[in-house]
Amino acid sequence: MTGVWRIPAALAVLSVIGLAAAILGDGVWDWLCWATLSVPLAVCAAKLWRQWPS
Amino acid sequence: MTPASLRGWRLVHRWTSLICSANLLILCVTGLILVFHHEIQHLMGEELDSSYTEGQARLPLQSLVDIAQKADPTLQPKLLSFDPEDKAVNYIYLGPPEESGFELGRWVVLNGFTGANQMLKQPTETLVGFLLKLHVDLFTGFAGQMFVGVMGLLFVVSTVSGLVVYGPFMKKLAFGILRFGRGTRIGNIDLHNLFGVATLVWAFVVGLTGAILSFSPLITGYWQKTELAAMTARHPEPMTGSSVSIDRVAEAGLAAFPGKDLAFIAYPGNEYAGSRHFSVLVRGHTELTQRLLSVALVDAETGVVAETAGTPWYMTVLMLSGPFHFGDYGGLPLQIVWALFTIVTGVVTVTGFVVWLKRPRARAASAATGAKLGSKA
Repeated sequence: MTGVWRIPAALAVLSVIGLAAAILGDGVWDWLCWATLSVPLAVCAAKLWRQWPS
Repeated sequence: MTPASLRGWRLVHRWTSLICSANLLILCVTGLILVFHHEIQHLMGEELDSSYTEGQARLPLQSLVDIAQKADPTLQPKLLSFDPEDKAVNYIYLGPPEESGFELGRWVVLNGFTGANQMLKQPTETLVGFLLKLHVDLFTGFAGQMFVGVMGLLFVVSTVSGLVVYGPFMKKLAFGILRFGRGTRIGNIDLHNLFGVATLVWAFVVGLTGAILSFSPLITGYWQKTELAAMTARHPEPMTGSSVSIDRVAEAGLAAFPGKDLAFIAYPGNEYAGSRHFSVLVRGHTELTQRLLSVALVDAETGVVAETAGTPWYMTVLMLSGPFHFGDYGGLPLQIVWALFTIVTGVVTVTGFVVWLKRPRARAASAATGAKLGSKA
């Protein structure tokens, strides 16, 4: 896999895990869901924060 | 990828996105608020009364039906529906005796423990009802709902085609680069690409499940007209005597599926039941199994289960589309995550539109063609 797809693919895998986790159970499954689904959002926020025109 | 096929995918991405963008913005804004519909209903005092004391016994279903019927004695009970999350909330549909569908009658909502009757407000009378109607069918009924479903499908195509054109575009660019100093178009392209690709799976899932939910009348209608109709047709005996109580029917249905909860009960004569058989639909009670329905036909005169069945795959897909569209299966943190993804999707929609607005005009090219035509004349 070329460099272009490395991070998007990782975010996609995390999203699939996160979306599926909370339907499978509660407790630790919910935490797994919240943690993994937060990553794509955090990446968006971090990239925006760092490159925001000052 | 050949330049020609890339051009094709770009066209697909541009036009599917442009066509659904106005509706998508409405869906994002209303959806963003609807994610918190429970909290809003609570704040506005619009939530249904589901209070009961611990250990309190449920009222018999027959007394709930009797209470419901008091509201309009000319109507007959046709369908009972049980809330999977809130066991105190029971919906009862009453319709004219000859009706088999759900158009001419009315829904009554009762507290299953106290029997308190709660008037269902018209959607326009509550904030959540208003937003939901706008979200689901743009206040234009069935046709509008189908329209929104088609827009959802376009959105799904737009996410897939967006992924296809992302690769070639980013070939020489670092992931997540945001070139804000390079003019409106480039800044918006970069933001569109980063936010779009980072949230693509979520957007795809929510778009697809939304489209499936939009088409739910067609999907349940198909099941009712094929498998369910074939099932009831195997038990064509007409009603000759009187019916056993609805509570006995519910008991028989539940006994056929140990460990399951009631989901719906359709009375004989209803399009979801037989001519003398009740349909009792049950579901499990975990996040996953509460979306899987099974059905038992219960003879109204004997209270005996005549036949049981699961539901076909497309009904399971429809039922599972709910949580993956609403984001209501992982507590408040998931609702917040859902809202943030919705905001990001809104940004992707707007930045994509700006990129299209600021597209380089093919002015030079058309000027050249014009000159050529001019020289010929």
